[in-house]
Amino acid sequence: MDSSQDYVIEMLHITKEFPGIKANDDITLQLRRGEIHALLGENGAGKSTLMSVLFGLYQPEQGEIRKNGQPVVINDPNDATALGIGMVHQHFKLVEVFTVLDNIILGAEATGALGFLRKKEAREKVQALSEKYGLRVDLDAKVEDITVGMQQRVEILKMLYRDNEILIFDEPTAVLTPQEIDELMATMKEFAREGKSILFITHKLNEIMAVSDRVSVLRKGRYVGTVNTADVDKQQLSNMMVGRPVQLEVTKGPSKPGQEILRLDHFCVPSHLHKRNAVNDVSFTVRAGEIVCIAGIDGNGQTELVYGLTGLDRSNGGSATLCGEDITHWSIRHRGKNMSHIPEDRHKHGLVLDFTLEQNMVLQRFREKQFQHAGFIDAGAVRAYTEKLIEQYDVRSGQGPITRARSMSGGNQQKAIIAREVDRDKPLIVAVQPTRGLDVGAIEYIHSQLVAERDRGKAVLLVSLELEEVMSLSDRILVMYEGEIVGELDPKKTNVQELGLYMAGAKRHGKEATA
Amino acid sequence: MNRKEPFLQRETTRSVIASLISIIFGLVFGAVVILVVALSSKDLGLASAWEGIRLVFCGIFSTGRDAAGALSWGFNGQNIGNMLFRAMPLIMTGLSVAMAYKTGLFNIGAPGQYLIGTLVSLTIALGIPSGALPKALVWLLAFCGAILAGAVWGAIPGLLKAFLNINEVIACIMTNWIAANFVTWMFADSNFKNVVENTKSSYIYKTTYGLVDGQYVSGAGIATPKLGLDKLFPGSQVNGGILIAILLAVCVYIMMEKTTFGYELKACGSNRHAARYAGISDRLNIMLSMAIAGGLAAAGAALYWLSGNTEFFWSTYQSLPGIGFNGIPVAMLAVCNPIGVIFTALFMSMLDISGLQLTNLTAYNEYITNVIIAVIVYLSAFSLVIKLWLAKRLKPKDGGGNVNAELAPGEKKGGKGA
Repeated sequence: MDSSQDYVIEMLHITKEFPGIKANDDITLQLRRGEIHALLGENGAGKSTLMSVLFGLYQPEQGEIRKNGQPVVINDPNDATALGIGMVHQHFKLVEVFTVLDNIILGAEATGALGFLRKKEAREKVQALSEKYGLRVDLDAKVEDITVGMQQRVEILKMLYRDNEILIFDEPTAVLTPQEIDELMATMKEFAREGKSILFITHKLNEIMAVSDRVSVLRKGRYVGTVNTADVDKQQLSNMMVGRPVQLEVTKGPSKPGQEILRLDHFCVPSHLHKRNAVNDVSFTVRAGEIVCIAGIDGNGQTELVYGLTGLDRSNGGSATLCGEDITHWSIRHRGKNMSHIPEDRHKHGLVLDFTLEQNMVLQRFREKQFQHAGFIDAGAVRAYTEKLIEQYDVRSGQGPITRARSMSGGNQQKAIIAREVDRDKPLIVAVQPTRGLDVGAIEYIHSQLVAERDRGKAVLLVSLELEEVMSLSDRILVMYEGEIVGELDPKKTNVQELGLYMAGAKRHGKEATA
Repeated sequence: MNRKEPFLQRETTRSVIASLISIIFGLVFGAVVILVVALSSKDLGLASAWEGIRLVFCGIFSTGRDAAGALSWGFNGQNIGNMLFRAMPLIMTGLSVAMAYKTGLFNIGAPGQYLIGTLVSLTIALGIPSGALPKALVWLLAFCGAILAGAVWGAIPGLLKAFLNINEVIACIMTNWIAANFVTWMFADSNFKNVVENTKSSYIYKTTYGLVDGQYVSGAGIATPKLGLDKLFPGSQVNGGILIAILLAVCVYIMMEKTTFGYELKACGSNRHAARYAGISDRLNIMLSMAIAGGLAAAGAALYWLSGNTEFFWSTYQSLPGIGFNGIPVAMLAVCNPIGVIFTALFMSMLDISGLQLTNLTAYNEYITNVIIAVIVYLSAFSLVIKLWLAKRLKPKDGGGNVNAELAPGEKKGGKGA
């Protein structure tokens, strides 16, 4: 490439230390003008720290940042903006009750005499940008009323409005439908063609292969290397990222469904947000020895369905039958008799973060005879049990059983929950986004555990937003849209595109919706 | 696999050091205040400031002034005994706050619970005619009745929190004032008002008074047994109640740390959602937690008023007992550890005694010790900051370490595990 010396931003030999951790250890990242550069790494590899350094949120101990070959000092985000660096954060930074237009101009308001806003000019500029790049937004809608996809377009317009030429996307596809992801990829390519430079942070290999020109890989705070995307394949990238060969595909044999474990009949759960039911008239069964997956875009009632099923919330219609018993009105504790639950939010529900690992391991079981005598907890038994689980499920932590859950890495927190729930050995496992935010290595492990449990004759109800996970792990797919099951698919006979149409509500029960 | 944290890195070690730093800071600040007062006054000099400072730090060992007019030091049984006596109710209200705090609730209702305990213990002690029941039984009835009443009183904010999600702080403030007025009203309409000693207006009889033929007679009532402590600390008010208070602190510690019940309470306190997820009834636990907290505060009142040498000022509708509120700094300084509460309560009462020594022996008054307590309370609110600072300072230098929070799930730490 002839423009190899034309680096718009260079981060050279950046080292950033936190107490006890070298978050960035001699990392070099060079972004060419007009390229899409992917930054790949597991959780905790140092991607966020590096970006925070670029944004002036942290000052590195060593290394320098150059813009167009000139060393620059970035002390705070305002400096970064002045240098033309813009970022779409994973969790959008929008004011919910402001309109789209107000959000876009916020912080870069054009004002006239006496400090009055000159919104008309701003509106024209935003409209022009919106048309030019096909970023459809409703400028007068409030952010809280628009879809996540549109919110992301608002974030992108925010960068364009500020004439940023270096655009950073932090995990931008996590919340999008397959169709929206395609649109985003096209937009990114369009930006690159115009000479804008894009830094694309992700751990999804497919997207890197589809859109990026080069990839820089970080592992455990260290720089592994930069490669041209065209020269590598997914397997090589994931090996670079994890540092060892990783099984990308889930290996599993055909399922052998046995007796019915869970049955939902016309099950309804009320919504806390609106008057309608969040889960409306849902019926399905899960049998022993199969993984049934509820697919859908976030916020279509999956969370409420699980709450209603596990007892965290009350259902207001229909019934749930578990192992032949009507559990519709049972308490959470009672339901736990035949059900284990890997919760969606491991910090909210899954763990008591200020408890130690061993205290967390017996969160449901501390009342069992094994762990208490006459109301006194048998600390020895709890310790022994925890050590057994740590050993068996390879849960890693600084101080073993007495580690505070809060100080463990996300992957190991999740492993601990999985160990606890799987070891409770219940006929039904409800797993909600069990791999969310985890890296390839941990995902591989968790998938193999779920398949192993299936093969041991457990019924697994999996709720996932990750299409790849849905396609590779499930034996049957139920698609949820606006609180209803709109389709049942066989993963062997469908593809991501069809699944996406169901998830977006464009298709239901095999018929085209009249939209 | 038998791993143990090095002593200096243990959470408890750091908490203790953080509290000690707060205490030292408070005492030094008190000394500075004395110095400033001394230097800004015509009548006081550096010599008097030095006397005051010494009293702030070790007033508990002051034995007054010798013939030459210099401060004299030594074992002062009266001081130490009175410190124990004052610590007794403070341990209980401190426990009440600490225990609730560990379960995620801020019990600012200790003053109200203390007042209800006062009402019930005095009513039972003075209401049962002398000789109708054995004295020990009367004492026990008064003590247990107070605990029960305090528990019911404490459960009210708990109930409101559990079922209506009303903030317990607000509910506690309301119940405090309801208690103050209720107690005043009940005593105003009672015949427990001291009419024997005319100089005492608006006071209730000491519990040493007993009802004999419709008349209250001194010496016919009950009092907490001294258990020989009065011999150990002659001239002081101390009695066996301090042992009961310490015993209860140990019981609370065991309950919180060793039992399934304490585990449930703490799980609800640390993460109500996770507790619910695990099938623990968060509502029941919130109510029980507040009830126990109320019972503990009321027990403190019972121990204090049943001691036989205390007189209750019954017209209390305009004020709440300070002992109830002082439970908060006692608990915070002890980082809500029940055993720690024993020591912080003793320390707070020691400051009280030092303050009295200041007033008696020097030109300074006991309000200096209030300043010290205020500084300590402020600093104990910063204890998290101090702890973080300590965490940095006490980090082991030999690599490895246990501060691997976000590090690599893929790597086993070297040098760990045996």
